Amino acid sequence: MSIYRSCLTAIIAAATILGAIATRDARALPVFARQTGQNCVACHAGGQFPELTPYGRLFKMTGYTIGSRTLPFSVMGVASYGSVADTSKSDSPGTDFQKNGTPLFATGSLFVAGKVTDNIGAFTQFTYNNYDSQGADGKFHGHSGADNMDIRYADHFVMPDNDLIFGVSANNNPSVSDPWNTAAAWMQYVPVPNPTSYQFIDGKAPFPGYGAGSNIAGLSTYLFWNKTIYAELGTYRTANQLLSFMSAGLSDPATTKLDGYNNPYWRLAISHDWGAHNLMVGASGMTAHVYDLGSDTNDPNNLGSFRNTGVDAQYQYLLSPHTITAQLAYMRQVNNYSVNTVAGATAPTTFTLADGVTPVAAANPSDTMNTFRAKISYIYNAKYGGSLAFFNLTGTTNTLNQTSGYDPAGCGGAICNASSVRVNGNLSGNPATRGFTYEAFWMPVQYVRVGLQYTAYSKFNGASDNYDGFGRNASDNNSLFFYVWGAY
Amino acid sequence: MQCKKILMAAALVMLGASCSNIERSRNLSDPLITARTLAEQVCSNCHGIDGNSVSPTYPRLAGQQAAYIVSQLTNFRGHQRSDPAGSEYMWGLSRFLTDEQINGLAEYYSKQTPRRADVRKIDPALLATGKEIFEKGVPEQNVIACMPCHGPRAEGIGAFPRLAYQHADYIVKQLTVFQDNVGRPGTPMEFVAHPLTGSEKNSIAAYLQSFPE
Repeated sequence: MSIYRSCLTAIIAAATILGAIATRDARALPVFARQTGQNCVACHAGGQFPELTPYGRLFKMTGYTIGSRTLPFSVMGVASYGSVADTSKSDSPGTDFQKNGTPLFATGSLFVAGKVTDNIGAFTQFTYNNYDSQGADGKFHGHSGADNMDIRYADHFVMPDNDLIFGVSANNNPSVSDPWNTAAAWMQYVPVPNPTSYQFIDGKAPFPGYGAGSNIAGLSTYLFWNKTIYAELGTYRTANQLLSFMSAGLSDPATTKLDGYNNPYWRLAISHDWGAHNLMVGASGMTAHVYDLGSDTNDPNNLGSFRNTGVDAQYQYLLSPHTITAQLAYMRQVNNYSVNTVAGATAPTTFTLADGVTPVAAANPSDTMNTFRAKISYIYNAKYGGSLAFFNLTGTTNTLNQTSGYDPAGCGGAICNASSVRVNGNLSGNPATRGFTYEAFWMPVQYVRVGLQYTAYSKFNGASDNYDGFGRNASDNNSLFFYVWGAY
Repeated sequence: MQCKKILMAAALVMLGASCSNIERSRNLSDPLITARTLAEQVCSNCHGIDGNSVSPTYPRLAGQQAAYIVSQLTNFRGHQRSDPAGSEYMWGLSRFLTDEQINGLAEYYSKQTPRRADVRKIDPALLATGKEIFEKGVPEQNVIACMPCHGPRAEGIGAFPRLAYQHADYIVKQLTVFQDNVGRPGTPMEFVAHPLTGSEKNSIAAYLQSFPE
């Protein structure tokens, strides 16, 4: 058992006991509910954590400081069951579909959060992944590390004709500071178990996101004027040295290495509330300069970049017993590969087109991906809910991403190559992936959600049929995901 | 390195400056925070800075009778009022309020100017029925009129709340709470509202929301 695991287990146990003692007269449980004394439904739309209501957004923007200081701990856990439609088209089903059809305790989190002073508050999450890695003996090993972190200073100025919320957020994930749930850091929220049988569930299907990923260190400043205009501007750097707690659990080479401080993030949104309705339309973007290898930041040829630009919109209708949410998000990502990455893209040159003669194109120095997500959900009485989501990823074709192809020298014109990867492979070099996710969920009590998701693919890695070059079809990846998700 | 020092210094300044911010505090358990500050920093998030809330989930408080606000906040704090929405949203927020803060909040909102909501065109027949019930009740169902207790302009009288310009959805929800007798004891409304039909509740709510200027 690693030291992280022992520490986290002890902390979660202590927090659970202390939390139980401290909340005997509280109506709602996790730390923010204890702080305000309100039920989850006050801040989370239809009780559907973590989607925020207008009040929940104001609670966040004012730095998690509404209410009274309380014991700043909460815990969260997920138990799950996953199943992939076809596990036969694989060289190693045991590796490609770990724990398929097996109930398991997937992950647990400890939150240290809440009001610190009149102006400072925090939301920090540390997550224990029960299936982080698998040893040579086949046993899984757990691991803990920093998850989302958002530490804020905020002030709220109320004037006769103007209302201004101003704040600063130190965080480790671009857009985790965002109050709307179409933001990249929040649109996907059900924790994803690590075993490979969960690699095709909705949480692993395309979502708009920033190329730099999480576990980086950023500082952003934001304002919300007259509950209408939201603007945020920030920049990110590597989460090391003093800021290494934002990437805790990752070894230094595994930590994302950004080039200096010139990795800006921006966000603009317009919000309007009328009656029981509210609507937000916004845009956001980030440019990040990322080293391919965290272990080598001295070689400039090791430096690539991601340029993300996105638009999003969210509509909510909130009037008990009904909660309706519609979300749209689109993100364009241009990835300029490092010199070393392009130079090292030699494997595809051994492939030919299907005629067995024409060589495939050389690797592109950059790729563009466009990710679109739409979701509509309905919840009755903060208890029964369902949602329908559509995702569509399109992008440029690049032999750099091609893992299988025609190799006349090796297999007499058949598809084969040592570098080919079944199940995860890509014959076309195109990332296109499309599908729907259907979900039904039930919240027997406000801090527990039981959900069933089914994700159906019509396209995966550029094709509907035979996307990996070895006969696997997109629909073979259709996945069932059952989860029990609780927080305390 | 220089940048790091500046950031650290800025963080320390912010931390120091923010330990106490009594004029813009959102602390709900500090008796020193004034009612006005609580109204601006906390209550306004849902009820509006002038008490004219946008969402019908939250009642409009502008011009509400001070005595009524005091009684409701006191009942939330003491858990005597336990209708679902009331307990879910208000028990926690009111749990540490002092009598002085409650009186101050009542005074603050009672002095705000009620604004008539922008409502879409409402069926005149609905309004006419609502007006009839407001002024005369439904004698054949033993429903008494609203006006004698809530005032000729629905402005409320002491412990009887103002109803004019209140969200229709909120009024319907509260009438249903009274009918179901869940968590709002000690008022005559459970007897008054009991015989009302669904369409009668909708009529009276529509009339009160768009009360004639």
